[in-house]
Amino acid sequence: MRRGLRLFLPLTIVAATLVTAMVAAPPGFGAHEPLTFEGAAALMQNTAVTASLLAVWMLAAVALTLLSGREIRYSSIEMRASALHCFALGLVAVTSFMLTAIVFSYLIPYHVGVPLLFALAVIAILTKIYGTIAVFHAVGTLVAGSRTREQLAGRRWLRGDLAMVVVGVIVLGALRLIPIAGPFIWAFASVFGIGTALATKFGRREPWFLAWRAVES
Amino acid sequence: MTQDACQRYLEDPEANAGHLETCAECRAVNAALAAKADVDVAPISLVALPLAPWEGSSHRAWPLVLGAAAAVILIAFVLCDLAGISPLHVAETSLSSIEARRGLLRNATEWLRAAPAAMQVAFGVAFIVVNALLVVLLRRAPRGIDA
Repeated sequence: MRRGLRLFLPLTIVAATLVTAMVAAPPGFGAHEPLTFEGAAALMQNTAVTASLLAVWMLAAVALTLLSGREIRYSSIEMRASALHCFALGLVAVTSFMLTAIVFSYLIPYHVGVPLLFALAVIAILTKIYGTIAVFHAVGTLVAGSRTREQLAGRRWLRGDLAMVVVGVIVLGALRLIPIAGPFIWAFASVFGIGTALATKFGRREPWFLAWRAVES
Repeated sequence: MTQDACQRYLEDPEANAGHLETCAECRAVNAALAAKADVDVAPISLVALPLAPWEGSSHRAWPLVLGAAAAVILIAFVLCDLAGISPLHVAETSLSSIEARRGLLRNATEWLRAAPAAMQVAFGVAFIVVNALLVVLLRRAPRGIDA
């Protein structure tokens, strides 16, 4: 029974991916309309590029989880505990990054723009990478996390931060491969991730700003 | 009683609860502590508590990790081979998407430079409002563990 359930979940994901891919496939990809050679080649190349990037994400996720698993776990917990706040913060942060990039780009003729733009790009990329890996952990925990202590004790492989992150990469990666809907789902996850990374200060759970308090005499 | 047994009890009182029945000294210490704390020491059943997020988190399932990573890399390699592209092409595609974003940024900046003064002021106001909102949202303390 338990083995049946273990098989049921991945098979459901694969089946849902295939059905959604068939439903959401771009025009010209149906059985009635033959795909042109150029279209098929472009589609194949896009899929290959996406799969290669997923492999890079997998390696990055495993490396970062090994280096700072506790921080990733804290961020993942925060995302599940206050999802709306993380999403709102992510949306505002992405907008802020874009507007700030335009302002810094505006300052390029005055020489201060280039280093500021470079620093902003580094911060934005690090936030996105960390946040997306936290999303992998959250998705993996939601899909395959243990609900009870007995369930946890009975598992050999499907436990621990590393396994949750790997499951998350596989699930989100499968969703990412869906034509049209995939990139939107990935972008949605990125916004969540950026919000979570900033809300938890990269899993450190420290305040971003010091609170002012009058000196007691 | 032996010092070792007392030490074991002090390190993990719940696991070695039976030690109290045989050691008068530890029993006295336990009673004194309970009287001092003025609490009724109730036994805690760990099994009844909900599963904490950190439980089992340090476990490293290497067969799963290595198998999944190898499968994803293999799929990517096969797809690249079928599509007739090299890993260099993948890197070029990623760089070209970055270049496209740089182009968008350049266009937006040029548009801002050429825009009328009122538009530039509106952009400045939007910049301040969005960043103020970001600061307000960042001030909220995370609540994940306490939730």
